Amino acid sequence: MIMEDKSITMQPALEIHDLTVAFDRKPVLWDIDLTLPQGKLVGIIGPNGAGKSTLIKAVMGLLPLSSGYVKLFDQPIDEVRKRISYVPQRESVDWDFPASVLDIVMMGRYGKLGLFKSPRKADRDVAFDCLKKVGMESFANRQISQLSGGQQQRTFLARALAQQADIYFMDEPFAGVDAATEKAIINLLRTMTEARKTVVVVHHDLQSVPQYFDWVIMLNTRLVAVGPTESTFNQHNLQETYGGKLTLLADVADLIRRESYPSREGSNR
Amino acid sequence: MKFKVESCETFKIVPRKSYFVPSNMNSLVEFFSFTDPNIRFVVIGSVLLTASSAIVGSFTFLNKKSLVGDAIAHAVLPGICLGFILSGTKNPIYLIGGAFITGWISLVFVEFITSRTRIKEDTAIGLTLSVFFGIGILLLTVIQKSGNAAQTGLDSFLFGKAAALVGRDLYTFATVAVVLLISVFLLFKEFSLLAFDKDYAKAIGLPVKRIELVLTSLIVLAVVIGIQAVGVVLMAAILITPAAAARFWTDKIKVMFMLASVFGAFSGLTGAYISYVAPSMPTGPWIVIVISVIAFVSFFLAPRRGVISRLMRQYTIRKTINDENVLKALYQLGEENKNFFIQRYPDEIIRRRKFEKENLMKVLKRLKGQGYVERTGNLWGLTEEGKSRGQRVVKIHRLWELYLTTHLHIAPDHVHEDADTIEHLLTPELEAELEKILDYPSVDPHKSEIPYK
Repeated sequence: MIMEDKSITMQPALEIHDLTVAFDRKPVLWDIDLTLPQGKLVGIIGPNGAGKSTLIKAVMGLLPLSSGYVKLFDQPIDEVRKRISYVPQRESVDWDFPASVLDIVMMGRYGKLGLFKSPRKADRDVAFDCLKKVGMESFANRQISQLSGGQQQRTFLARALAQQADIYFMDEPFAGVDAATEKAIINLLRTMTEARKTVVVVHHDLQSVPQYFDWVIMLNTRLVAVGPTESTFNQHNLQETYGGKLTLLADVADLIRRESYPSREGSNR
Repeated sequence: MKFKVESCETFKIVPRKSYFVPSNMNSLVEFFSFTDPNIRFVVIGSVLLTASSAIVGSFTFLNKKSLVGDAIAHAVLPGICLGFILSGTKNPIYLIGGAFITGWISLVFVEFITSRTRIKEDTAIGLTLSVFFGIGILLLTVIQKSGNAAQTGLDSFLFGKAAALVGRDLYTFATVAVVLLISVFLLFKEFSLLAFDKDYAKAIGLPVKRIELVLTSLIVLAVVIGIQAVGVVLMAAILITPAAAARFWTDKIKVMFMLASVFGAFSGLTGAYISYVAPSMPTGPWIVIVISVIAFVSFFLAPRRGVISRLMRQYTIRKTINDENVLKALYQLGEENKNFFIQRYPDEIIRRRKFEKENLMKVLKRLKGQGYVERTGNLWGLTEEGKSRGQRVVKIHRLWELYLTTHLHIAPDHVHEDADTIEHLLTPELEAELEKILDYPSVDPHKSEIPYK
């Protein structure tokens, strides 16, 4: 590999420090600390209710943090929004919206376009190109209400690609996708990481973890482990992640909500 | 409800321009020739008001916030009254200002209640709406009893009065309407993204809070000027109904907005006309009736999304299923006899598969018309075409049963009913794929032979 500007390439893609997130006062993520290098395909795994989506949303600044901070490329997120891309869960929107597939993918260009400006031909070309990458070019003019689950997922993926970002956060991009498409998507993500993009994916299927991901984040309301897959994704950590809730921790979280306590002294949330 | 009747009676409605009430035909010609400048004012005014309300309202519709428009509409009444009390005149600037402020306060109330208590949004809207409207009516009564001569006509804000739109007032309202349209035009892509996927808008760094602030202000403004035409009570209808009607006709957002504005404008025009021929008539109810008729017609007649079109589709499907079931029964009888072209009595078909006799005769006649069966007296049999269509249904049925048992591991005695539905539904492409996946098997799980051509 070419040793170009070392300070840039060695910057961590993501740094999370002492992150706690609460819903309705109840903490759902406790004191997360982690650092991800650039250019890796990273899986976030953990049981239901472990806070996988919450972690992504907190990083994207979509949820208020009870404590801690998040930095991307050594900067607060609002400074580097244009370098960050997001694929929300498919079910988070109403697909009976009057729009075509291309309309949705074009939304990926809005951040770069800025307010008041209409998309140009160049934007349309990028959007179309991204549709091609996910194999949806023949659906460009299809109404989104007529898409299957897997096609909806690929539309969202194309929208994220259209942002031409450096780091991608994807919330369950494989939900409702057939095996062949999943393979195609993983190959696409691989080529992205080869181009030094960082891709962080919430994932459910443990079987495919070693095959898909360079790094894993193992989560169960607290961080169990983070690191390269071959050294981190082991029996001990799996046991710790999936071996059931820490009952005491869950009870304390419930207590905080019941008693309307702030989850941090001096905080309102 | 009682106050409405009272207020209509107590307030003396004096139109600014005293139109005589002419015979209908003359008035129609006179009105639509637009020679009278006052008529021009009223028409331009009410069309602008209703069209801009419809466009802004389309976003409340897409945001699924239809009730919010209703809350604002009721909450502007105290603002109008306060504007009048404080300024002592009906200058629209003061009235709009007052209305804008209380309209906004009501939204802050709704937001505050939903975020700080366990009360849900619908309840919060209901509470806010009635409190503000109550205060508004109270103030209106106070003004009315005060004997201030300038107050006449304030009550037209309750039910709307397009004919009151003349001269200087019109310029104010028209300016606001044009500002609304330009703002929507400039922020169209942001507003639609927010309506579709707010989290994503935040994620890509759009100033979501500020855009929402602008949109809310536009809605409040649209309400504030719209009530001139339709009145406080019915304002929500002119915000939401055009969008709801337009949605039936199209899946394209821009077309939807254009249709909504045309529907809105048309109802506004009708309102202006009514206001002209019958000056003592409140305009609002008429506008709402017109736009509701448009919505009603859309609901039934729109292609694809309309109720009638859906019923027609279901009817066609049922017909296909009936047809194919009869062809299938004839084919299966043919299998038993190893001769597909034997003609039979209807009762024989019924013995093979339960049909109502009357229905069966209808289907047979229809199939004969299409060339799938032939008849000799009361004997019915397949034609070559009928045989191949029946055969296809039987083939898909058996292939699907096999697919369910081999690929989904469902017990052979569970698969029949699933296959009964699938056999009518499968497209030729899926049929070919199914054949390929199963590698052209010769028998189904019940050892019946799978017929190929």
